[in-house]
Amino acid sequence: MAIQYWRRRDRYYRLVGSRCKDCGDEFFPPVYKCKGCGSEHVADKEMPRTGRIVTYTQLHEPLPGFEAQAPLYLAVVKLDNGARVLTQIVDSPDDSVRTGAKVEATVRRMRVDGESGQIIYGYKFVVRS
Amino acid sequence: MHLMQSKNRAAILGYGAYVPYYRLPTTEIARVWKGGGSGPNVEKAVAAADEDTVTMAIEAARQAMKMAGTESVGAVFVGTESKPYAVKPTSTIVAQALGQHHTLAADLEFACKAGTEAMQVITGLVGSGMIEAGIAIGMDTAQGRPGDDLEYTAASGGAAYVIGRKDRSAVALIDCSTSYVSDTGDFWRRAHERYPRHLSRFTGEPAYFHHIESSVKTLFEETGHKPSDFKYAVFHQPNPRFPVEVATRLGFTMEQIKTGLLNPMIGNTYAGSSPIGLAAVLDEARPGDKILMASFGSGAGSDAFCIEVLEGITRTRGVNPTVKSMLERSTKIDYSTYSKFRDKLQK
Repeated sequence: MAIQYWRRRDRYYRLVGSRCKDCGDEFFPPVYKCKGCGSEHVADKEMPRTGRIVTYTQLHEPLPGFEAQAPLYLAVVKLDNGARVLTQIVDSPDDSVRTGAKVEATVRRMRVDGESGQIIYGYKFVVRS
Repeated sequence: MHLMQSKNRAAILGYGAYVPYYRLPTTEIARVWKGGGSGPNVEKAVAAADEDTVTMAIEAARQAMKMAGTESVGAVFVGTESKPYAVKPTSTIVAQALGQHHTLAADLEFACKAGTEAMQVITGLVGSGMIEAGIAIGMDTAQGRPGDDLEYTAASGGAAYVIGRKDRSAVALIDCSTSYVSDTGDFWRRAHERYPRHLSRFTGEPAYFHHIESSVKTLFEETGHKPSDFKYAVFHQPNPRFPVEVATRLGFTMEQIKTGLLNPMIGNTYAGSSPIGLAAVLDEARPGDKILMASFGSGAGSDAFCIEVLEGITRTRGVNPTVKSMLERSTKIDYSTYSKFRDKLQK
């Protein structure tokens, strides 16, 4: 199993990021040190599961393991707390995938890990009109 | 007495359903395998290439916990016959995604009635006082062998229920239930086999009808209830015909079953079938309404429930997407896309 994936599973399943205890800034992915005030007093924080598309593209030649999902949308999503996430957009009509569209997080299969066959799950987003 | 009733009253505190976005018209299956025509249902719900029982269970469970307003549960039970792993629980992945660690977690298996079995077990755990609340999920990505009759109906979807002690915010009281089982070989899948097999003429009379009629009649005999006491009835839905037929035999009307009858639109979601029918009913039910739900699982058995809707149902409106909205938010796919999504192509 990908050890890195196992260690990060709360990030992938629940969008667990960081919140600075001193200035209140929130970050995703998690940080050890606040990027705003430099404080090391940061704690785990579940991010909001909704946001808006900032920018997007459509891939017709995706990475190995994603062939069955081609063509697929990749987008930068700004969560409701301002944190940004690079993510796949799924289950959404082509004309709904646009800058500014409201999206909501979902958990999906990302890929199957090599010969071990372990399934890697993670977050993707769906357009919510 | 065969009636199961918890001493501490247990109730549904929240529920959530999940129906995938994609629909395969059965005319597509008939076109490929028969040269035309259609199946008994209009369409079936198809999980996307990146969906499985784990991902769908997480979505339904999240909704159920949101509606219940609970942050911790003492049990996460997933009833399914389409576990992504033969060995490795579906339920621990779901529990991790829900942020639950101090909890029982198990996958229950009983073909199409594993979801209602999870509801009964959690009702018992809550009723005994062992746990405050638990989540029961019935979810499947059912598979039919290409070209087999089952392929028309084998579909994806299901529902989750947070069951806890009855309080003023509770959605519906799980008043009592009965179960009836026997060794009946109507449908099975041996280890390492990809698709289930069925004995066509055994699936009806000695399996579906005998077991559902037995569980429901026992419930009637031991509670004194009769069909007219119920505003709604939900029966397991392997196809559009069987639930209508069993309802008629037991004395229910079309008016009582139409709200929860989803097979024509989404097919048979196996362990999710009766739980998602119940969710569709709860979306429309009012306080005081009584609901009869009877599942059926091959192999074989049936659980029959008497459920009474409580005042708390009024606070649930708008909290989660309704089953009806999930049926509407969909897009049609052809047989080729379905084959790609459900991994039916050899590369």
